[in-house]
Amino acid sequence: MLKIDNVSKTYKKGNKEALKNINLDIGKGEFTALLGQNGAGKTTLINILAGNVQKTKGIVTIGGYDLDNNSLETKRIIGIVPQEVGHDYVFTIEEMLKKQSGYFGIKNNKNYIDDLLEELSLKDKRKVTARELSGGMKRRLLIAKALVHKPKILILDEPTAGVDIELRRSMYGFLNKLHGEGTTIILTTHYIEEAEKLCKRIIVIDDGKIIEDQPKEKLMGLFSENTRIKFEFDYDINSSDIEFLEEYSPIIKENRELQIKVNKSDLSKVLRLVSERGLKFVDINVDKPKLEDIYLKLIRH
Amino acid sequence: MKAFYNRYGFMTLLTREIHRFTKVSIQTILAPLLSNILYLAIFGAMLQTREVGIDGVSFLNFLVPGLTTMGALMAAFQNPAFSLIAQKFQSTIQDLNSYPISDVEKSLAFILGGTFRGFLVGILTYTATIPFVGSQISNPILFFFSICVTSFIFASVGLVCGLILDNFEKMNFALAIVITPLSYLGGVFFEVSKLPGILSYIGLINPIYPLVNITRYAYLGIYEGNIWVHGIMALIFLSVAFITSLIIFRKGIGIKTR
Ligand SMILES: Nc1ncnc2c1ncn2[C@@H]1O[C@H](COP(=O)(O)OP(=O)(O)OP(=O)(O)O)[C@@H](O)[C@H]1O
Ligand SMILES: [Mg+2]
Repeated sequence: MLKIDNVSKTYKKGNKEALKNINLDIGKGEFTALLGQNGAGKTTLINILAGNVQKTKGIVTIGGYDLDNNSLETKRIIGIVPQEVGHDYVFTIEEMLKKQSGYFGIKNNKNYIDDLLEELSLKDKRKVTARELSGGMKRRLLIAKALVHKPKILILDEPTAGVDIELRRSMYGFLNKLHGEGTTIILTTHYIEEAEKLCKRIIVIDDGKIIEDQPKEKLMGLFSENTRIKFEFDYDINSSDIEFLEEYSPIIKENRELQIKVNKSDLSKVLRLVSERGLKFVDINVDKPKLEDIYLKLIRH
Repeated sequence: MKAFYNRYGFMTLLTREIHRFTKVSIQTILAPLLSNILYLAIFGAMLQTREVGIDGVSFLNFLVPGLTTMGALMAAFQNPAFSLIAQKFQSTIQDLNSYPISDVEKSLAFILGGTFRGFLVGILTYTATIPFVGSQISNPILFFFSICVTSFIFASVGLVCGLILDNFEKMNFALAIVITPLSYLGGVFFEVSKLPGILSYIGLINPIYPLVNITRYAYLGIYEGNIWVHGIMALIFLSVAFITSLIIFRKGIGIKTR
């Protein structure tokens, strides 16, 4: 669906090499997270796909169309939610979306525009201009704008920055629905748990290079020895009680809390041992590996 | 890439460029109209009795085609220029890259939007002068055609300025330092041949001069100089302005990052 071959970008201004030989192949219907620190090159990559930034080198194919030779066809295939929020202040939301449909050659799109406004909780704002929207609403309007032509590939550059928790949740639901309908989605975000919740594939970009590209499950599996179990007791325990847990690097905290690190496959064995030895815990807490920890590990090398 | 790709998209963009100024028509239509009527009233009151060079036409009659042309070209220039600067200001300029509309279609949408506004202001200016001098036009078809061509040329210039300049201050500077002086020296208020010394030669490279003169010829039926030379000059200015705007748009200057 989207193929990026050896794409590099050096900005004329500042002679900054923002992307170094990027290779990517994203299949139809994938839901991919593009992660990376500030300045890693995520927006640069997206802007190349959008035609906002001219690449220095490489080939991009979108839905089978070459970006350089068939750029107009590629525009019908992608919808981009830019990182920077900007809206026209002359027209009302409804007029704006109607015009947006028109640019794509779509004549009567009222029903779909209504659906979008409903999904993105903007229905009651249809008659006002974007000036009267809050920051989070403006961002949601960007999503509506990117979707009016029903793109097969939706690329979102930090769509949830500044959106409140409840609406963020409903946005997740909406993205999942689009994914379910077969839309290929690429999501950039600094909320890692968002990527963990939604995406099936994780790409980490660092200093213009792709340093990790894995299915989420596999990536998280690689770090599964990280599972941390915390037991709490209502009496003091001492180190002799827990000698049998030696190999799981036990730590006792404040006499009543025990922490061990367990590999997923050993989990039930450890729990059986604990109860056989008569350790009577009052609370147990399993800290599953978080994408966030893995991500931090990756970018710190 | 095809030059014409998406007609409905083009029409939508053109309609937007028109819709954008009709929504604020007090500033975009009424204001220039009022200032033109003011010129007419002031000059008319002051110089009623003065007769100008060509066959003793009254100064007010002489002034009408000049003001009409100037009103048209200013409005035509401002429409694409300010539309683009506003889009840069609102960070929506890159939206233009996301439409499946060819560069030629996009450029034309901006230029024709400006042409329409120029034509509208030109016609309204002419209409506003009717109470002062009456409605007679020697060659109406040429008169309206000339206003259209003038608007088209300056809409193209406005498109170029909107692309290469990045803020309102620079745009106002360009207007004050280039467009306004060229109009004043282009025979809007007086015959260029009456200008002192070197200034009279500016007419030879001033795109406004032949345009004003053709409009004036169409209006009065009398002419200073050679109409064919001016016709060819207008054609050259039109081609240069239009092609330059296409090239700059195509290069993505002001819209795409390199
Ligand atoms: N227009 C530009 N001209 C010159 N350099 C630029 C330009 N845009 C971005 N850069 C540089 O390119 C690098 C990558 O920037 P980019 O915007 O792609 O990062 P990002 O991964 O999107 O970061 P963030 O998470 O902060 O949005 C940065 O070093 C940045 O300074
Ligand atoms: Mg970014």
